[in-house]
Amino acid sequence: MKIIGLIVAVLTGGLLVYAAEDFPAWSDPASPASTYLSPHFIEKTIEETSVPNIVTAVLADYRGFDTMFETTVIFSAGVAVFLLLRTSGPKTQQTRLYRHQLTGVTLRIKEGADLPPSDNFERIDRFWTPHDLIIKTVCRLLIPFIQLFGLYVIAHGHHSPGGGFQGGVILGASIILLAISHDLRTAVKRVAEKMDAVLCAIGVLIYAGTGALCLLLGLNFLDYKALAPVLHVDSIMARSHGILIVEIGVGIAVMFTMIWIYNNVSSGGKYNQGL
Amino acid sequence: MDIIVVLLLFAGLFFFTGGALGILRFPDFYSRLHPAGKLDTLGLLLSLTGLALYNLHHFSVGALLTSLKIILIVVFVFLASPTATHAIVDAGIRAGLAPWTKGEERR
Repeated sequence: MKIIGLIVAVLTGGLLVYAAEDFPAWSDPASPASTYLSPHFIEKTIEETSVPNIVTAVLADYRGFDTMFETTVIFSAGVAVFLLLRTSGPKTQQTRLYRHQLTGVTLRIKEGADLPPSDNFERIDRFWTPHDLIIKTVCRLLIPFIQLFGLYVIAHGHHSPGGGFQGGVILGASIILLAISHDLRTAVKRVAEKMDAVLCAIGVLIYAGTGALCLLLGLNFLDYKALAPVLHVDSIMARSHGILIVEIGVGIAVMFTMIWIYNNVSSGGKYNQGL
Repeated sequence: MDIIVVLLLFAGLFFFTGGALGILRFPDFYSRLHPAGKLDTLGLLLSLTGLALYNLHHFSVGALLTSLKIILIVVFVFLASPTATHAIVDAGIRAGLAPWTKGEERR
């Protein structure tokens, strides 16, 4: 099986190298990309889409189909990690450990026994649990700002470097920081596993759904001009808004895929303890 | 104004150099984190403050906003960098790495 895989990989690589021979030379001014495609994007982007950032316009509008499948790749990476690693281990551990938050005393609760009635207990893990006031406090302080910045990066993709992928990664990193500085249980309490799975599919669905909506409204797939009557703007602003909608979809998909992958990898698919 | 900016940048560079030297010269993990954490934070603080001032050379609202953003970076680095150093030291102690004492070999 491995040998077959190796042969396929080598053949594909050889084919790609063979095909790369046909590319125009580096920085060839007569190549098709430099003669009409790049000048078109550089000169017409602001007229056609009213998006100042050409990269965003090319990625999400002119080549929106490509970006849609990039989002799908990220989604399938999340699903693949889930399928490979997730194990449904025994739900109840024999003994559970709780720390009294005010005194730091640790209690070991045998199976079937109950905690003393108090709200100040926090569940901890057997091997290693970070218990550090400085790190916890600073992370709790920073996480809202990180999330705000992530939203800014998504929304500001029209004007500056940024967009759905980058903003989604920043948003996902804020939750991962929560999981590192506290523990996995705290993070999973806020963003449950089911939510990860559903939302990273919804992100892809928003993207593909926008494209399908354009199709239903009578134009080509992912041709945002069709959204103009729905959004009550002219067709140029409709392209700009369409880009924003798909960037939001990408952001959601990337954010929750990152969290999902982190949860599965850091706990070995058991979800009982993180790093 | 220019003199202050140059002074701030040079002071920042001085601390960065000290930090780099310390990372190379100090004997073990914990003592190396000392220049890495402290001097880099101070160096960044000084040089970014210099840049924020330099940016105000031609005063306008846009320039002021950019300077404010630079100052925000300073604030966040000032919060995050010492915490990261603290977390690394904490992890080292938990993993059982003993600190270097006088007379031992460098490691």
